[in-house]
Amino acid sequence: MTMPSKLLFGGLGAVLVLGIPLVFSNPYSLSIVILVLLYAYLAYAWNLIGGIGGQLSLGHAAWFGVGAYTSTVLFIDFGLTPWIGMLAGAIIAGAIAAVIGLPCFRLRGAYFALATIAATMVLRIIVENTHGLLGGPRGLEVTLMRDAPLLFQHTRKEFYYAVAVVMVAAAFLINRAALHSRFGAYLTAIRNDQEAALALGVNVGRYKLMAYVLSAAMTAIGGTFYAQFVLFISPEKVFGVALSVQIAVVCIIGGRGTLWGPMLGATLLLLGEEAARRFTGGIVGADMLLYGLILMLVIAFEPRGLVAIFGRIAASLSRSNAKPSMEKNDGAA
Amino acid sequence: MSTILFQALLNGIASGAVYGLIALGLSLQFGVMKIINFAHGSFLMIAMYIAVWATRSLGLHPLAVIIPVAAILFAAGYYIQRFMIEPIYRKEATREPIGVLIFTTGLWIFLDHLFLMIAGPDYQVMSGNWSNEIVLIGDLIFSLPQIAGFVIATLVTIGVIIYLGKTRSGRMIRATGQDREAASVLGIDSTHVYQLSFAIGLAVVGVAGCLLVPLYPVNPFVGDIFGLRAFIIVVLGGMGSIGGAFWGGIIIGILESVGAQFVPVSFAEALIFIVFLAVLYIRPAGLFGLERE
Repeated sequence: MTMPSKLLFGGLGAVLVLGIPLVFSNPYSLSIVILVLLYAYLAYAWNLIGGIGGQLSLGHAAWFGVGAYTSTVLFIDFGLTPWIGMLAGAIIAGAIAAVIGLPCFRLRGAYFALATIAATMVLRIIVENTHGLLGGPRGLEVTLMRDAPLLFQHTRKEFYYAVAVVMVAAAFLINRAALHSRFGAYLTAIRNDQEAALALGVNVGRYKLMAYVLSAAMTAIGGTFYAQFVLFISPEKVFGVALSVQIAVVCIIGGRGTLWGPMLGATLLLLGEEAARRFTGGIVGADMLLYGLILMLVIAFEPRGLVAIFGRIAASLSRSNAKPSMEKNDGAA
Repeated sequence: MSTILFQALLNGIASGAVYGLIALGLSLQFGVMKIINFAHGSFLMIAMYIAVWATRSLGLHPLAVIIPVAAILFAAGYYIQRFMIEPIYRKEATREPIGVLIFTTGLWIFLDHLFLMIAGPDYQVMSGNWSNEIVLIGDLIFSLPQIAGFVIATLVTIGVIIYLGKTRSGRMIRATGQDREAASVLGIDSTHVYQLSFAIGLAVVGVAGCLLVPLYPVNPFVGDIFGLRAFIIVVLGGMGSIGGAFWGGIIIGILESVGAQFVPVSFAEALIFIVFLAVLYIRPAGLFGLERE
């Protein structure tokens, strides 16, 4: 990219970031924007291991839950600010991921996916059965502090919006760095053909584990953000299979292993979900039904996700501009 | 051994045989196509709903619905494989197609929430009091559905093993599972074999659903519990091994039932996952699977 176009993009981005809270000024709309950003962030975290690394994790709720519970317990029982609790959660999640990842990475594809589900179930059952400290199946409430930015709380949604923007930007940059580095090249090689990568001397286990630990630590930070934003956590919500699947689905539908896939996937899926909720008048299950349906359709018609679909539309548009009347718009398929 | 423990052991074996049957379908599909059907539990859930509705509205005996339910699921499986899974499967060149895995994850979420919308979140039970009839053998107590479940699950498992071993189409399925290219050189139509094995997998899970429904109430997410357990059993028994699925089911059944005598029920559930992770680590090919690679 040339210098002026870089400036142009930067300017556009800044206008967008600052403009959104002005346009979506009522707290409900802004909450939806914040959730879009949170899911984009989680999908970026998942993308490191699930997309770029090609290891289908269906257990990322484990890391989300560890993050949410760590910072919350440290806050309500020990008075530690969730800003530090967040880092503690990330470190603990990374450590557990390293321990669990070692055996799990001996497994491939479906075996790995199953092991991640099983590990998440074990963590969830432990939390559900720890009644005092972790609140058991009923969960924990984060003590309400009102306007206390130093304690990661505020009554204004703009505060969370700002934090979420920073988180997404950081996750985006980490993904970009991973894609454009030796590390990313190794991961891509492992995804494409693990035997070939091994034969070429790539330390397969090490790079997979590094990506997994980084991904888990980032996801834990998302868990803390969720706890502070919603101020209530329960095992069913933060350790649920549904959450694990949603994180993976957002990234897969957007485009596995791409730089813009997670952002695109989160935007379209969450706004679509919200639209479906309004359209169906809030029928229970309609939103997740839509998730399932979209997932099946995307995999059936364009397994590379929305990024590839948009790419095809853009390509066919530029072609039809060059040669009007010659081509049909085949990109929408 | 005390009577209570012995009872728990036999209870575990009885429910384990049904768990094994749920896992059998999954294992067959994996053994032949190397695909993982994450929607497996949802098909179990659907079978259970059909069985509940058929016994309620038509007044049929719970055992009388087994064959119709199996037939419905067989037909569904035959066409789902042909029109949904086959096109995705053909696009993927890798040994373990991840696209199918993601597709069936979508199908799983879709079906569960479809039934949430149709049937609501509440548990539904089978009508009639067959579920409550018991048989006393010495000091031991068994319910009639428990005995029927064990006997029929065992017979169906044996039936599938004989079918795969002795019949022409069964051998075609096994040949394709062992080497798809070699089988097609010999003139075996792999598309048809895949349809057949997917359909048999669903028919078997249909039988399992009918056996389970007098023992467990059904709700849209009942498949999540049993589906996950089926995956664990398949891995324990060795992916693709039919006999392994049966024995894996028995082990999980005993673990659950006897474990619950010593630790709270929810911890017994955790025990299953921990054993699963341990087996994955020590013997990824499963307890009864052949060592490959």
